[in-house]
Order: sequence, then C-alpha cells, then structure tokens
Amino acid sequence: MFKYILQGAGDINWMATTALVLFFFIFVAGSAWVLTRKKDYVDKVSRLPLDDE
Amino acid sequence: MTQVEQFHYDNKIVKKFAYATMLWGIVGMLVGLIIALQLVFPSLNFDTPFLTFSRLRPLHTNAVIFAFVGNGIFMGVYYSLQRLMKARMFSDLLSNLHFWGWQLIIVSAALTLPFGFTTSGEYAELVWPIDIAITLVWVIFGINMFGTILKRREEHLYVAVWFYIATWITVAVLHIVRNLELPTSGLHSYGIFAGVQEALVQWWYGHNAVAFFLTTPYLGLMYYFMPKAANRPVYSYRLSIVHFWALIFIYIWAGPHHLLYTSLPDWAQSLGMVFSLMLIAPSWGGMINGLLTLRGAWDRVRQDPILKFMVVAVTAYGMSTFEGPMMSIKSFNAVTHYTDWTIAHVHVGALGWNGMLTFGVLYWLIPRIFNTKLHSTNLANVHFWLATLGIIFYAIPLYWGGVTQFLMWRDFTPDGFLVYPNFLETVTQIIPMYALRVLGGTIYLTGVILGVYNLLKTTGSAKCVDNEYAEAPALAQHHVETGVKKHWHSWIERRPMQMLVGSLVLVLIGGMVELFPMWWIDDNVPKIASVKPYTPLELQGRDLYVREGCVGCHSQMIRPFRFETERYGEYSKSGEYVYDRPFLWGSKRTGPDLAREGTGKNKKSDSWHYHHMNDPTSTSPGSIMPAYPWMAEDDLDVSTTAAKISALRKLGTPYDAGYEEIANEDLAKQASAIAKRLKEEGVDQPGVEKKEIVAMIAYLQRLGVDITLEAQAEK
Repeated sequence: MFKYILQGAGDINWMATTALVLFFFIFVAGSAWVLTRKKDYVDKVSRLPLDDE
Repeated sequence: MTQVEQFHYDNKIVKKFAYATMLWGIVGMLVGLIIALQLVFPSLNFDTPFLTFSRLRPLHTNAVIFAFVGNGIFMGVYYSLQRLMKARMFSDLLSNLHFWGWQLIIVSAALTLPFGFTTSGEYAELVWPIDIAITLVWVIFGINMFGTILKRREEHLYVAVWFYIATWITVAVLHIVRNLELPTSGLHSYGIFAGVQEALVQWWYGHNAVAFFLTTPYLGLMYYFMPKAANRPVYSYRLSIVHFWALIFIYIWAGPHHLLYTSLPDWAQSLGMVFSLMLIAPSWGGMINGLLTLRGAWDRVRQDPILKFMVVAVTAYGMSTFEGPMMSIKSFNAVTHYTDWTIAHVHVGALGWNGMLTFGVLYWLIPRIFNTKLHSTNLANVHFWLATLGIIFYAIPLYWGGVTQFLMWRDFTPDGFLVYPNFLETVTQIIPMYALRVLGGTIYLTGVILGVYNLLKTTGSAKCVDNEYAEAPALAQHHVETGVKKHWHSWIERRPMQMLVGSLVLVLIGGMVELFPMWWIDDNVPKIASVKPYTPLELQGRDLYVREGCVGCHSQMIRPFRFETERYGEYSKSGEYVYDRPFLWGSKRTGPDLAREGTGKNKKSDSWHYHHMNDPTSTSPGSIMPAYPWMAEDDLDVSTTAAKISALRKLGTPYDAGYEEIANEDLAKQASAIAKRLKEEGVDQPGVEKKEIVAMIAYLQRLGVDITLEAQAEK
C-alpha cells in the first residue's frame, strides 16, 4: 500500500538513489583519503593532543 | 627563525563549566532518584503538582542531558579546543555569554517543567521562548568555536575538532526543525507538524539528540582526553576518520527505530532498522579505537582511577551501541519497546558512557587547571567502584523487570484469554525491581557526591590558573619556514568551513530523504472520514494531559499484536492522529495504553475518571499512579480557547472560520453535560462543570471513539 502512497507523492526515487550513491561515494572517498595519507602525517596529527605539554 | 607567539589559555571558563557540570549532575540525578522512589512509594508525590512524577520526569531527563552532559561537553570543548588550536578562545565575552546563557536556560527549564509548561516532545519539552534562547546561545557557542578555529596556530584539525564541528551544526538543524511551532500565548504553542509526521520528526530529533549531544561531542572528548590520560596517541588515527564520517552519516537515519510497529509507514520503519544495524560498525570501530589506545598501558589502568573511569565509559559505549541496534530489530523491539528495558538501556549510556567519561575528564582536568594534585586517589577509586556497582544495580533489575512485564502482557490462557487482563498486575509484579533500581541509583549518586567532594577539596586547596601561559609559532611564519604550503591562508580558513558544510550535507541527506516523503504525502496518509477535530473542551483537556505529563507513562499507540488488540482494542492507524498536536504516542508504559480509553471494553464512566484522578487507588487498588486532586479544585482556564482554535486552524485543523468566537459556548455545553452525568453517578461537587477535571474527562472519553464510529457506519 505504501508503494502507492510514495508513488502518489511524486517522483522521489531520485532521493533514495542519490542518497545511496552519495553514501557510497563518501565512504569510498573517505577510505581512499585515509589510506593515502602518509605515515608521518598520520603520526603527527595523532600526536596533536600530546603536543601541548 | 620561527616567530614564537605568547598567549594564555582561558582556564577560568573551563572551571566554570566544570563546576556547573558537577552541580547539575547532582541535581539531575537527585531528581532521578526522587522519581524512582515515587514509583515505589507513590505517596512521595505529596499530591502536589510540581512534585508529581509525571512533571518531574522531563525535568530529570532535561537536567541530565542538557545540564549535566551539556556543561560537561562545554567544559571539555573549551579545554581541548584551545590546546588543539594553540589559541585562546576567540572571545572571553562570548565564552561568558555562553556560560551564563546556558545556565539561565537550565534554570528556566527548572522553573517551567515542574509547573506544567511543556510541549511534551521528549527532550524537546521546553516552551518556545526557551527554544529561542537555546538557539541564541548555540549561535554564540558556534561563533566562539569557529572564531577560535579560524585564529588557530596549528594547521591541522585533530579529529576531536571534527566531532565538535559536526555536533554544533547538527544540533542546530535538529533543534530548529523539531521546534517549528506556532505560539498561542507567552508559554504555549502548537507544533507545525501533527500526528505521524510529528512522530517521525520527533524521533529523528530525539534519536539524534542522543547521537549528536550525548555521543559525538563525547567521542571528541574521548579522542582528546583518553590519549592525554594514557599519554599515548590514539590507537589508529585513520580509523578515527572513518569512524567520524561513517558515524555521522549513518546516525541521522536511525530515528524511526523508536517507532517500530507503530502506524509510521513500513518503509520508514525498515529504513530506521537497517541504518540502526549498520551503526554497529562505526560505533564499535570507535570503541575499539578507544580501548586499544591503552595497549601497553593496561598495567596503569590498575592504578589510575582516571583510566578506570575511561575504560568503563568506553565499554559502556560499546555495550549501548551493540544493544541499540539489537533493540532496533523489529522482533526484539516488540519485547523492549514500552518496557523498562529501554530505561535500562539509556542509563547504561547516560551513567556509563556520559557519567563515567565526565568524571574521568574531571579527575584529569581539575588538578591540571589548579596546578595541584587530586585530593585523594583512594576516594576516586571508591567513587569508581560505587559508580560501576551503581550501574549494575540500576540496569539489571530493569532488564529483568522489562522482560517480566512483556511476558505478562503477552501471556494467554490455553483458551485464548489474557492471563493478566488487568494491566496493574503487570506493574505491581515488578515493583521489587523498581526498588532495586532505587538502590542502584543511590549507590551511583553516592559515588558522584564523593567525587564532587573530592574535586572540591582539590580546588579548595589551590588556586585556579585562570590564564595559563603558552607559546606557539604563528601559523604564517610556521608555513613559510617549513614551506609546506605557500597559499595556505585561504585553504586553512576554508577547511573548518568545508568540514562544517560536509557534515551539514551528510546529515541533511539522511534527514531530508526520511522526512520529505512524510511531509509530501501529507494528503496521502490514509484518512479516516470519521476522525474529526477535538471539541473545545476536549482540546483543553488534551492540553491538561500534556501539562501533567501523562504521556510519560501512558502510550496512545496500539501495536498490531494480538496481545495488544486483545487488551486495548483495534490497533492504531495513522489516520487517527491527523489532528494531534502534539502527538502523544509515548514511549513507555508504566500505565496502560489509552488510545481506546473512551470506547469498547476499556470505557469507564465519567465518575470513574473523576475518582481515579482524585485518588487512583480508590478505583485501582495498588496503583502507583500519582493523584491529581487539583484538577477537581482548579477552574479551567477558558480564556485561551480562542487563541488555540485560531492557531490550530492556521496549522490546518478544519475548524470553521470564526469558530473561535463561539467555541467557549460549545465548551460550556459539553461541560454541563458531563457535570450532569457526574451528578447522576453520585459525584455531587457544586460548580464541577467549571473545573479542569471535566475537560480531562471529556478528552479521555473521546479517545478511540472516532474510529469506532466508522466501524458502526460501515455496518
């Protein structure tokens, strides 16, 4: 029944598709960004909380 | 040569927020203890409006979330942000406006909620002027935070700062959308959403208040203070980045898991359930990252109470974020929803994750800003064990009680009748569990009081270093020297903004994809022709129901289970709620569901309601419901009727134009009819037709009636 309600609400499938594509893109891009950081960068940033003493 | 700049960190503002979190922690938990006692000893309601359970419960939740944890967030953010940015806060004036503004909001909450000024949306109960004040103070906090980030001396934004930025922007969005409302008077308003749509907005908000107020800022604190306390960097910085993006994207979708088996459309329920299950991955990534930060330092956990507090906090985070997704599975949610299981669940989060982390941070931070040693490590250890035991004694009885009550609700005789048709039997059965919960809460609060004593002894013997000297190279010179980036300036200034926009886009996607279809299909929620707007008297009665906080214990949402329809009647349909502002589905049944209270086998006489509200035990021996005798004494305020009718018509309720002019005439007629029936039934109270109780009776007798009219029409 809700399928018809959603159809009646106009074409909103693009929202679901966009959300999925964006989520996938952000997850892949985020992981890629994280994995391509150089080790010395990661080490430096991860030590930031310990820097101020 | 790098030019080193000298500056001072503002510890005074950190100290203020630290004192505030201690104070409101005790107050909030004390109110929690009082209402827990009221469930065991109902006489402790003292027949006094502002001491009544149903009015105090929202005070407890608001005090713990926004006062205790809120000030805890600001304490940790103001301490860590300055150090991570190597800069003093942007503006001392804004810091102080933020502090005093927030305390003023808390005090105004304490002066409104117990006196019945509430909108009744869970964790969004505050009335509209306070909502505006919250918005203003939040903007002040935002300007102060971003100002500090923009004038920083450290190029990189550590992951904790990411969490703070996402927290700020998401809470802003949630607060504004949830509190879109139309005032009818200085302290009363109707929300622009109604019924099933409001339910979805409420739990999109409510769930993400947990996510972005109780979780993401505290994760930021975990990523800063746990490495500090352990004196080693976070286990995997890479994992923390994935944790961040995955968590904020997935969290925002999970709200509908609060509405499983309700009349929310199935697609939204399924969406909420799937995203809730996915949440295990980032949540546990964060927990593992926190715990593994202690790799090689576990021997120190044995001696250092700060690390003990943090380990239990992160473990509690892991437990709640495993339990939460499990509770979002529909078949398991059928067990936990409406029962004390949910109460146990939230307290593992609040007492374990938020409470233990707050005190871990306090024990670490207070000696540092006072440049002294903690007064007593032994006492901190005692606090730790009291807190841990307190959580266990709090949670286990309620898990037990929740499952017991559910099993009693659904127990059928071989002939197919309910074994416990009287709801009250399922409540009195678990009162011993409520008593044990009081014990758990008492143990926990004792620990908190010892902790605060210990911290105050620490601060009493030293002076706070209000302005802590620090030095760091200026960012510009630093970059020229190291030659990292020539055109760093615009890029650096953009980055926090990019972070802000990125977080905003992510949470908006989740929010809008869920909410828009529900808003757009407004006319397509299956309408029920026989469902009509409330009469003026019923409307006033409904607002009394809101004022007294009845929704804290009584749901108005019958799930499509045989054990529910057998007990309460036909399951609830979304079309029944189109005129409900606010929606009153509730999320906990300490008393029975009331969706069909005015019809079928649940219908009671007017006099039954009259006596029951005056003294619940007179009609239901053993009831733990508070008495509401003032409703029979106080006159109903009918001066508000016209404004309420007008506001509702503006929002779409089909009252005829000009009806507000004559609404009070209809109100008086209906009130007289009820007074007449009361008299016939033996209630001889002169002038009862003018009293609040009559409006309350009118509302309760209306519940569930409309849908039965349709069934009769069909016949």
